[in-house]
Formats: sequence, structure tokens, C-alpha cells
Amino acid sequence: MGGWMLAGIRRGPGPLIGTVVASAAAAVLTVAAISTAAAYTQAPAGRLASASVVVAGSTNVSVTHGSGEDAEHETLPLPAYRGVPASLAHYLAQVPGAASAVGESGFPNGAVRAGEVDLVAVNAKPGVSPDVLASRIRAALHGGQGYTIATGATRGDIANLNAAVERSNGQALAGALIAPIVLISLFVLASTTALAVNLRRRRFALLRAVGATRGQVRRAILAELAICGAAGGVLGWLPGAALGAVGVRALAAHQMLPAGSAAWLSPWLAAIACGTSALVAWLSGQVAARRGSRTAPAQALRETAAERKWPNPLRVLLGILAAGGSGTLMAFTLGQKSAAGQLALAFPLLLACMLAVALLGPLYVAFTAWLARPAVALGGAPARLALAAVAAQPRRAASAVIPVAMAVAMVGTVYFADASIQHATASQAASTVTADNVLSGADLTAATLRQVQALPGVRAAAGVTPVSAAVTDPDLEQAYGEAVTSGPLGHLLDLDVTSGSPAAPRPGQIAVSALEAGSGALGVHTGSRITVYLPDGTPYRATVSAIYSRSLASGDLLLPASVAAGHTGTPPGYSQILVSGGTQAELARLAAGHPGLRVTSRSVANAQSAQAAAQNSFANNLILGVLALLSAVALVNTLVVTTLERRRVLRLLGRVGATRGQAAAVFGWQAVFVVGTGLIAGAAAGAVTLLTVTRAITGSWTPFIPLAPAVSLVAVVAALAALAVMIPFGVMSRRESALTSG
Amino acid sequence: MLKEAAPAAVAPVVLDNVTKRYGRGRGAVTALDGVSLSFTAGSFTAVLGVSGSGKSTLLQCAAGLERSSSGTVRLCGKELSRLSHRQQAVLRRQRVGFVFQELNLLPELTVAENIALPLRLDRRPVSGVDIERAASRVGLSGAQLRRRPAELSGGQQQRVAIARALITSPDVIFADEPTGALDPHTAAGVLRLLREAADGTTVVIVTHDPQVTRFCDRAVFLYAGRVDQVLPYPEPAMVARLVEELGERADGGRG
Repeated sequence: MGGWMLAGIRRGPGPLIGTVVASAAAAVLTVAAISTAAAYTQAPAGRLASASVVVAGSTNVSVTHGSGEDAEHETLPLPAYRGVPASLAHYLAQVPGAASAVGESGFPNGAVRAGEVDLVAVNAKPGVSPDVLASRIRAALHGGQGYTIATGATRGDIANLNAAVERSNGQALAGALIAPIVLISLFVLASTTALAVNLRRRRFALLRAVGATRGQVRRAILAELAICGAAGGVLGWLPGAALGAVGVRALAAHQMLPAGSAAWLSPWLAAIACGTSALVAWLSGQVAARRGSRTAPAQALRETAAERKWPNPLRVLLGILAAGGSGTLMAFTLGQKSAAGQLALAFPLLLACMLAVALLGPLYVAFTAWLARPAVALGGAPARLALAAVAAQPRRAASAVIPVAMAVAMVGTVYFADASIQHATASQAASTVTADNVLSGADLTAATLRQVQALPGVRAAAGVTPVSAAVTDPDLEQAYGEAVTSGPLGHLLDLDVTSGSPAAPRPGQIAVSALEAGSGALGVHTGSRITVYLPDGTPYRATVSAIYSRSLASGDLLLPASVAAGHTGTPPGYSQILVSGGTQAELARLAAGHPGLRVTSRSVANAQSAQAAAQNSFANNLILGVLALLSAVALVNTLVVTTLERRRVLRLLGRVGATRGQAAAVFGWQAVFVVGTGLIAGAAAGAVTLLTVTRAITGSWTPFIPLAPAVSLVAVVAALAALAVMIPFGVMSRRESALTSG
Repeated sequence: MLKEAAPAAVAPVVLDNVTKRYGRGRGAVTALDGVSLSFTAGSFTAVLGVSGSGKSTLLQCAAGLERSSSGTVRLCGKELSRLSHRQQAVLRRQRVGFVFQELNLLPELTVAENIALPLRLDRRPVSGVDIERAASRVGLSGAQLRRRPAELSGGQQQRVAIARALITSPDVIFADEPTGALDPHTAAGVLRLLREAADGTTVVIVTHDPQVTRFCDRAVFLYAGRVDQVLPYPEPAMVARLVEELGERADGGRG
């Protein structure tokens, strides 16, 4: 293919600019996501910097499902040290090549059991390399089963166990972002390239008339798109890298990546960005290129090339299938046993709904235009003209309506699903804690708890501490809950126990939330036996003593505090003591004897926990930001291109005597139609997912939709659409001298 | 490049009982209704008729830009219905030239690149000398070759289109209202050029302008998709009268 065929890029590349911009946006986000995913900072070895080899109890928990050939291993990094016997240091000092071995304790999340240390630091004799010593130690420990043996940079991960956990969280988040980014970029680019090709139909028809084969036209279009994509990649690299760096810093600040993490900013990223966006542009252009190459050569002879009014029957069929698929997927999602399973299907469900809207867009637009006919009589000639254009070319109008719907569906669903969950969490928290007062701060030990219980008038008091435990539900993952001291919980916590005992679980027992277990993935009921793994990897086999439904605030597991003690990597004691009864004065007197201890009323404590929940939505906000950016690019890009496409109409309006104001009104009414129909379609597509998510997490069909953000979303979409239509209109109308002002 | 010459006895464009229908069922429109015509080698023919008589459809079917609904079209000795889309495209770029009323040229290419387009599509070597020769035949100067179409006048743009049509030394040139957007003086100049430059090439011009026939050996009149009359060595005044009559018939038919 000669470069001459690509001259369209060199000169007058109008429609292709959109493709470049869209590719650039895709590249920006891909680069940001990749550099975030690749963010890799080995935690500093700190105290262990001088040790040749570090030996700790295995820092992972491993579970094997099945047996024989089907056996499947799963491992999960542990948030706390297992602890090794202090005597291990003496044993390792005897290993040939070891100069000395010292048991070390006092690391964050360290073991706090007597006779144990967190890890052993071994120093090599001169001339013995750390790797050689490590392999001898492994042999001395009979293959090292049950231990983590580290040298060099990996010592940092042992010095700071959170690093591994945070890194895997960060990578999971970035990994979760890449798929939607690529999918949505493909969609955005596909619609932009389709428009870019459509705008130049006559050019392709002329090429076909003078003897270009379909293959030549198709290859020229694809080559153009690949070049535009690569150009977009170059443009997107620096902003993408910057965004990645900011993202990594923000994630580290929110403990979702190890502190000090840096984005991966290798020059290779530029090549990856160009390659990815060129590939995405090339892939997304396949349909458009095929359509462009099939342009009938006779179209070169016609003044106004006839465009098909109605969508291809295949598109309609696929649209109906997508709509049916969305319904089926929704039913399937609601039928999933675990909330996690339901949430995992939420994004595919949203995509299926959006696909249905995109495919059935032209029919929807034609129907809406028909419905809008009576109302338009009020808007005068410009409104009538605008509606006539929509009704005559529903396919073309749909290409502008679809990105509006996408933006509303995506951003709205993510935002309002999060808002609904937060709202439910806050309101559950308020009804979960029934204690009159909450003690928090320092010195919340067993002794303090006994003092509180002994205060006159105290009906009940219990210590609670957040705790995590690895569960297989069915994948090995961390579940979060609380460790609570034994005794009746009736006056302190109302977890809405649906079966079993309302008292705190005793040793050998565990209470599980209905979301996690009751009808859920653990597949357990009261009386079932399950095994969970405490933060230091200790297995805890317990009988389910209760199943409760208020889990948004207090978590999915309730463990006896005495079982968790010593296995959580935290100092003994509680994070809160819940108190019912007793007087404020007595509690204040007690607090005076314990520096750092605070007494707060139930309502204040609840307000604080609601605030903490809001801060947790950082990851969600990050996803929201990415989706909003992509949607905005898609929306503006498409509307600008579709407006520029109507230059001929504008010229004609000028020739037949329309004033600039009347022409502006025609374009304005079209923007109104596009925004209105887009909002309705987007709200409908988003509502399906939003309702499903709300139902999955809160058990209620009613999502929480705060008014201000809802109005802002509509206002931003309307403002973007208005700008994307009226700015190109302004530019074009200045060039049309035939338009009279007035 | 040597061109495979069509046997003298065989006309390069032959339509046999060609019908073209658009749409289906009740809404179907018959644009051509059993047209049989042949255009002999080296002839210069004008196809005339009122709007909607089927002139452009005739050209599109004859040139392989549209497939006929029935009947056969032979172009340069090949029956079009037996050729694939690809073979038709190759035939067009090797043996056929086109001149349209407007949008003839790709705006992003220079004049020289536009002229060389069919050669490039055919992956043939393109020499500056060939392009200059083709350009000089239609009266374009070397400086104009580096310009873009938008920098030329309407008449100059049509000359570029003619040069492009001639660059492959085609058997046939199809022209659809090539002077429709030009003033009478410029139009006459362009037609004279086409007549001279296309020496020996079969030319089919679709037009509604009787003056075009001054340069033609033959005029074919279409009415309602059928051949109404064929006039050898037409006189513009007579042609104008015949066109007028066809118009009145069409009005009468409508009224």
C-alpha cells in the first residue's frame, strides 16, 4: 500500500482527529493502569538490612482443594507473622556457613506469644554467599516446608508483611480497571471510526469508481486508523504516565499499595501505549473499514449519497439478543448465592445493557422522535426541522444519543451503587450498635473491660476488635469481621440474628453473616463446621453458632476474642468497648484513670464510623474518575463529529434565508433531543445494574440516589453536549456568509 | 504498457436488453427498461434525456458501477455479471476512465497524485514524465501539478479529471455531466479538449445540455428508461428541440 493512499491523514484530517483523540485517551488510561499494576516497590529491609538470610514462619496460607491430579493449591499472603520458636535461632546458628543467628521480634503485626519470635536473622560467615547459606538452611529445615526463607530484596517483604497484601490489592484493582478500559475504549473508538469513515463515503466511492478494489480501500482505512492510533498513543504517553504516577501515590496514601510505591515509567511504556492504541484502533475499525470498502462506486456520482435509514436487521437481532441477555443475566445475577458472585456479574450486566442500548439505538431514537412529534409543535420551525432530521436519519441521530446514554449509565451506576452501599452501611451501623456508650482509644485491655463491667448500673459490656480471617468461599480470600468478648450481646449489638444464638460466639464457635454464609458461598447454616485461618495462618475450626443479616457495618465474621488473641499481630486488647447502662459520670471517672481512653455516645460513634466508610470509597472514586473521563471523551468526540457532518445543512439553511439565530435553534433543539433521549436510555440501562447491585448488597430494591449528585450528573452531561454541539456550530456558522445575523 | 486492443468488430461497450430496478414490490422503480445499445470503438456519444429518464443509471450499469437487474453488459469484451467485484475494479482501473460532474478529485492529493491515481491503484510504476504528458494534453502546466484541487478553478479541475481518465490510455471514458457546473465558454473548452485528447478512445457522455452534442458523433435519447431515438451526427438545435419535446411528453404524462 502506497503512502499516497494515506494522504487523507496529511491534509484535512478532520474526522480522523477524533480517532486520534479517542486513541490518546485510551492510551492515557491504559498506560496509567499498567504503570499502576506494575508499581512494585520492595519494602525496605530496615532492621534486616544487615542479615544475610531471614527465616520466618510461612508468610502465606495455603489451601488445597480436591486431591490427586485435580488438587488445586491456593495461597494468600498473611497479614500477621506466624511466629517461630525462639530456639530456632540457636538451631540455625549451627548450620554450616552461618556466623550467627538472632531471633527478632517487635515488627508491626508481630507475634505476641511467649517463647516465640517473629523471625530469625542469620548472618553468613565471610566468603559464604547469602544464596548458598539460604539453601543450606532450607536443607536443615527439611526442605523449608512451613517457612519463608528470604535473601536480598525479598527480605523487605518479610520486614513489612503489609507490603505483600497491599501490593496484591493494588494489582487486583489495576487489573480490574484494565478490562473495562480496553472494552470501553474499543466501543468509543469503534463509534468514532464508524463516523470518520461514514463522513468520507464519497471519497471511498470515488476511489472505487476509478478502480480501487474493496481490499485496497479496506487496507487504506485500516492503515489510517493504525497510524491515528499510534499517534494517539504518542500523545497519550506522557499524560498517561503522569496519571499513573498520581494514581500510584494516591493508592499508596490509601494503603492500597505499599508506602513508597512508584509507578512503572519505563520508556517501554511509550511503545506499549502506541502499540496498544494502534491495535485497539485497528480492531475497532474492522467493521467501519468493511462498510467503507463496500461503498457502492455509483455513490460517487450522486449529489447526496443515500444513506440507509434503518439499521441492518442483524444489528436489530443482536440488539434484541443483548436485551434478552441482559434480562437473563440479571435473573442469573440475582440467583447467585454470594454477594461477591453477584457483584462480579454487575459489570458484565452493565455492559450487556449498554450493548443493547447501542444496538437498538436507532429504533429507540425513531420511536422517541415519533413520540416527541406533538410536543415539537410548540418549538416552532427550528424544533420541527431538528426533529425532522432525527426522524429521517435515526441511525445518524443514534450515533450521538448512544455516547450520552453510555456516560449516564456508566457513571451513574458506579456512583449511585457506591452511594447506596454507603448509605446502607451508615444506616445499618446506626441500628447495629445498641450500646449506650462506646469506649475507644488507648488502654482497652481485658483489665479495663473488667473495671467497666464492675461499674454500678452497667448492664453489659464487651470488647470488640476488627479482625480478618482467610476463608474459602469458594476462593481463598480474606473476610473481615470482629472479634468480640464472650457474653450476651443483646444490649450492645443488634446484628439481626436470623438463626442460632444471639450471644457472642464461645471458643469453638463462629457467627457468620447471611451475605457471606447463610444463603451464601460458604454454603453453611447454624451448626455447620467450617475452618477459617486467623491472620497469622492458624487454622480455627469452629461450629457456626449464629447467622446474622446486619453485616455492612460489622463485617461478615464474628469470632471469640479469646480465640483471636495472639493471632492477629496486634497488641492484646480491644479497639472498642461497648457499654450499656452505667452513668456518664462513672465512665468519665474511669476514663480519667486511663490516659488516652475516650468515651463517646452511641450517636457520635455511629457518625464517626459512617465517615470512615466514606473514606473507604477511594478505589471506587478512582474507577469512577476513569469511567467519567472515557465517557466524556466519547460524548464530546461523537457530538463534535456529528455536528460537523451537518455543515451542508447549515449552508442550505443560510441559502434559504435562515438567520444565524434560527440555525442555532435548529442545532440547539437537536442537542436537546440527543441529551434528553440519551439521559432516558442511559438511566434505564444503568437502573438495571444499579437495582441488581443494591439488591445484592443491601437486600433492598431501593437504591439511594442523593439529589445533588444526580442533578450534577445530568447538568454536566447536558453542558458537555451543549458545548460539543454549539462550539462547532459557532465555528461553522462564522464561515457561512449566507447566514444572516439577527 | 501495451494495451490489449479490443477487436475492431467488437464494440467496447454493449448493452443487451438491460433492465435496472431499484427497490422491491410496490415501491420498485424501473430506471432502465430493456435497453439495448452498443458504443463502437472510437465513437463519441452523448446520452440525453429529461431528469429521471435513466441517463445516469445507463452510465452506471455500462461502467460496472451498478449491477443491472437483468440483461447483459459487455465492457471491453468482458461480460460484467461474470466478473467479481475485484475483477470489475481491476477492469475499471486498467481499461476505463471516468469524469464526473463534481467531487472528481481527492482533495487531499495534489493534482499530479490525482492524475496518477489509477496507475497507483494498479501498482504500476508512475513516472513524472507520464504525468506531465497527460497534463499537457489537457493544457495543465507543470506548476499546477503541485497544487491541490481546491486551488484550481472548476474548468481546471475538470481538466485534471480528464487527464486522470486518460493516464491509463483506456478503451472507454465515461463522463457524467462533466460540464454541468461550468459556464458555456469553459464547458466548450473542456469538451473540445476531451474530444481531442480522447482521440480513438470510446467516449460516453451523459448530459442534459444540447450544446455538448456539437462534439459528438451520435446522440442517444432516453425516455422513461427506454431508448427513444438515436441521432447520428446531431445538430445542437435539433437536439434542443428533441429534448424540449421529451420534456413536454414527460409533463403530459405527469399531467
